[in-house]
Amino acid sequence: MGAINSIEQLEAYRQELEDAAVTDLPTVMICFGTGCQANGARPVAEAFTNIIKEQGLELNVNIGIKTTGCHGYCENGPLVALQPQGILYLKVEPDDVPEIVEESIKGGRIVERLIYEDKTTSEMIAEYSEIPFYKHQHRIALRNIGAIDPTNIDDYFLAGGYVGLVKALGMKPDDIITEVENSGLRGRGGGGFPTGRKWRSCVAVDSDVRYVLCNGDEGDPGAFMDRSIMEGDPHTVIEGMIIGAIALGAHTGYIYVRDEYPLAVKNLSSALEAAREKGLLGEDILGSGFDFDIRISRGGGAFVCGESSALMRSVGGDLGEPRAKYIRSVERGLYDKPTVLNNVETWANVPEIIVKGAEWYASLGTEDSKGTKVFSLVGKVNNTGLVEVPMGISIRELVENIGGGILNGKKFKAVQTGGPSGGCIPERMADLPIDFDSLTEAGSMMGSGGIIVMDEDTCMVDVAKYFINFLVEESCGKCTPCRDGLPRMLDLLTDITEGRGEEEHVAMLEELCDLLTWGALCGLGTSAANPVLSTIEYFRDEYDAHIRDKKCPAGVCKALITYSIDPEACTGCGLCIKKCPQECITGERKEAHEIDTTKCIKCGICRDVCTFDAVRIS
Amino acid sequence: MEKISVIIDGRTFEAVKDQCVLEVAHENGIYIPSLCYNSEVASSGGSCRVCLVEAHQGGRMRLVTSCNYPVREGLEIKTDTPLVQRIRRGVLELLMARVPDSEVIREMAAAEGVTGVRFRRDEGENERYKCIACAMCTNVCAEVVGVSAIAMVNRGADKKPATPYYKPSDVCIGCGACAYACPTGAITMTEKDGVRRIWDRDFNMVTCSVCGTPYIPEAQVDWIVRTTGKDRSFFDKCPDHR
Repeated sequence: MGAINSIEQLEAYRQELEDAAVTDLPTVMICFGTGCQANGARPVAEAFTNIIKEQGLELNVNIGIKTTGCHGYCENGPLVALQPQGILYLKVEPDDVPEIVEESIKGGRIVERLIYEDKTTSEMIAEYSEIPFYKHQHRIALRNIGAIDPTNIDDYFLAGGYVGLVKALGMKPDDIITEVENSGLRGRGGGGFPTGRKWRSCVAVDSDVRYVLCNGDEGDPGAFMDRSIMEGDPHTVIEGMIIGAIALGAHTGYIYVRDEYPLAVKNLSSALEAAREKGLLGEDILGSGFDFDIRISRGGGAFVCGESSALMRSVGGDLGEPRAKYIRSVERGLYDKPTVLNNVETWANVPEIIVKGAEWYASLGTEDSKGTKVFSLVGKVNNTGLVEVPMGISIRELVENIGGGILNGKKFKAVQTGGPSGGCIPERMADLPIDFDSLTEAGSMMGSGGIIVMDEDTCMVDVAKYFINFLVEESCGKCTPCRDGLPRMLDLLTDITEGRGEEEHVAMLEELCDLLTWGALCGLGTSAANPVLSTIEYFRDEYDAHIRDKKCPAGVCKALITYSIDPEACTGCGLCIKKCPQECITGERKEAHEIDTTKCIKCGICRDVCTFDAVRIS
Repeated sequence: MEKISVIIDGRTFEAVKDQCVLEVAHENGIYIPSLCYNSEVASSGGSCRVCLVEAHQGGRMRLVTSCNYPVREGLEIKTDTPLVQRIRRGVLELLMARVPDSEVIREMAAAEGVTGVRFRRDEGENERYKCIACAMCTNVCAEVVGVSAIAMVNRGADKKPATPYYKPSDVCIGCGACAYACPTGAITMTEKDGVRRIWDRDFNMVTCSVCGTPYIPEAQVDWIVRTTGKDRSFFDKCPDHR
C-alpha cells in the first residue's frame, strides 16, 4: 500500500497486518547485526532458506525466516533464536542447520550442544529469557532489536511502532515537552543533560527554522550501543525524531552517522525511504498538516565529531572542529538556527515514553537518573555484548550477574566506563550504582555506555596510556591544551611504562590534567584527564611500582618484564621452541627449556602456547 | 546598541552587549595577553587559550576565552587570579615546547613568569618552526581576502596550514595577508629582484612608476581588478605616490 493519509488509515493498516500475522508461526530469527554477520550469519541464513525449500517445509509448516538486528550477545554469534519456543542457539554454523531443522523445528526437541552453558554453574539453558545475560535486562531502547526485521517497516508496525507518533500528533507540542521533562530522561550520549529541558530551552528561542539532529557518531573504543540501535531498529530513532520535531516545530532533521557503520547507514536509509512511502515523513504527515523529513549526514569517523558543535559544523559541510559554546546550540546551532541534538539512544527512548507515559518511565532507575541505559559490556568478562539495564544497578551486579563474572576465574580489578572521557573505577568501589552522578563523582562518567571490565592482568598505567594515545590521535588540534598537552602526557606515560619514569612525573601529569580540564576548548579536551586522574587516584601504587621499582605488577609493560621458564613446570615438550619467532628458546627434549632474554622480544607466544603454564613473567 | 555594565578586575565598565571581553578590557587599559585573535577576522580566536579569564555569572565560575566571550549584564571578569595565572602559564609552557624558536611566545611566556620548559620538546618542532596552528592565516585568507588558498590540514599536533596537496596554489594571489596576520611570524615571505616568494610559489611584482619599488604582486592586482572592477592603471603607482 502507498502513503497512509490519516491516523485512522494507519490503525486500519496495522489491524490488517495483525490479522494476517499467524501468531504461533514458527520463526527462525537469525541475528544480522554487524557482529553476527562477521561471525558468519549470512551462510547460516542461506542454509536455513535452502533446507526449508528443499524439504518443502514451507508447504507443510509455515516457517518464517527473519533476519534481525543485534541481539547483543555478540561474542556467541551467530545467534539463532527459534520462536515461539524462545530457544536461543549460540555459535551456529551452516552445518548445524539440518540438525536444528530436524530436531527442533520438526521434532520440537532441543539441540543441547548449541545452547548456553553457564560457565560458573555448568547449567544448560535453552530459553532465551532465562539466560543470565538476558534475564537481568530491562529493554526499552533495545525493545525491538532481535525481534523485528529492521528492513521491514511492517514488522515495526506489528511491534507497536509509530503508536507514539500517533499519540504525539494528538498532543499539544508543549505537552509533549512536558511529558519528556517529567519522564526525567537525560541525554544518553554522555553528558546526561535533561532532554526535556533542552527541548524547552530550544522552543523558547524565537525562530522560524529549527533543526533536530541525531548523534550517531559513536566513537568510544569498544562501544556499539548506537550502532546496534541504528542497525537493528532504525524506525524507533526515526519515530523519536518525528515526535521531537512535532514538539519543537522543526521541519528538517539530520542523522549524523559515521561512514564506518555501513550497515547502520543502509538500514537507516531504507527505513527512511519506507517511512516516506508510508507517509510518515515528508509533507503532511498522516494527514496532520505537519511536514518533516530526515536526511542522513555521513561523517568521516572523527571522534571529535561526536562533540555537538563539531558535529553541527560537519553536518553543515565545514571542518569538524568544535567552537566555543558560549552561545548554546539550542539558540544557535546548525546553520546558526536553534537546534536540538540528541543521541541515538535518547531518541530511541522517546516513542516509548510517549506511549507509556512519563510516570512509567520515571518509575525506573534512580532519583536523578531515570529509566534504563544500554551498555556495551566488554573486556575480561565471560559474557560480553550489549545490555540494557535500569539505572542504578551496581557495577558488581552488571559484571557478575549479566557478565557472568571474570574470564578464567581471574580477579576482578576495575571497570573503565565512559570511554576516553571516562575513568577507571576499582573493584573495591564496584557496589557503586551506575547512574550519571555517581560515576561522575567517582572520577569517571557514564559517557555513552561503554563498560570495559579489567582483571588482575591489566596494567592501569598502560590503560591510561592507551586512552591518552587514542585522544592524541583524535584531538582535532584546534586548542593548545589538547593539541600540545596530550602528546606531552603521552610522553610521560610512555616514559613511565618503559622504565624511564621519574618521581616528579606523576605531579607533571596531574598538572597537565589540570590544564586540560580548565583550559581546553571542548568536551574531548576537558574530560581527557579522567583516564589519567582516576588511575592515579585509585592505582597510585602501580605508578609508583613502575617509577620506583621499574616493575609492572600486572606484567604488561614490555620494558619492565622478563620472560623465563620454570624448570620445575617445564616438561621439555619443545612447543615453545618451535613457536618462538626469535628462536631464542633452547633445550633438549624432555629437559627444561631456557629463554635467552637478550634476544627475547617479549611477544608472549611461548606463554600462550605452553600447556603446562611453565612460562613466567617477572 | 544595547549598553550594559560589566565588572573587570573589580572595576565597572560600560560596554556594548555581546562585545567580547578582551576588547572591553583593552579599551579600558586592562591587559590580557592573546595570540590568535584579531578583531578584523570574524572567526579568529578561541584556539590558543592564552587569553583565558575567570567569568563569574549567576553564581557560577568558569574559565572562558576573553576573545570570544560576549559581555552580558551582571558578568564579572577576573583576569589575573591564581587559577588564571596557573592555566595561562601552562598553556605558554606547552607553546614553548611546541615552537621553541618563536620569540613572540618566549617573550610572552617570560612576561607571565614561565622561564623554562620541563616537557620534552616536540619531535615535529623543526618542521613546525613557529606555527601554533591558530588558523589565523587560513581565516584571513578565507574571510578577509576571500580566496581560500590555504586551509588547515591534518589534526592533533600535526595540524597546520597548507595549500592543497602541499603544491603551489593556483588561487593564491601572493598578497601576504596570512604572513602579516600570523601572530608568531611563522609564514615565510621573501622578496628579491621584483619577485615575491610565499607558499612555494613565485609572484612577479608590479613596480611603482614613480619610485621604482616593487610593491604588489601582479596576481593580486588581477584579483582586485576582477573582483572590484577597479581600473588597472590605478596600480601603476604605490600608495605613497598616488
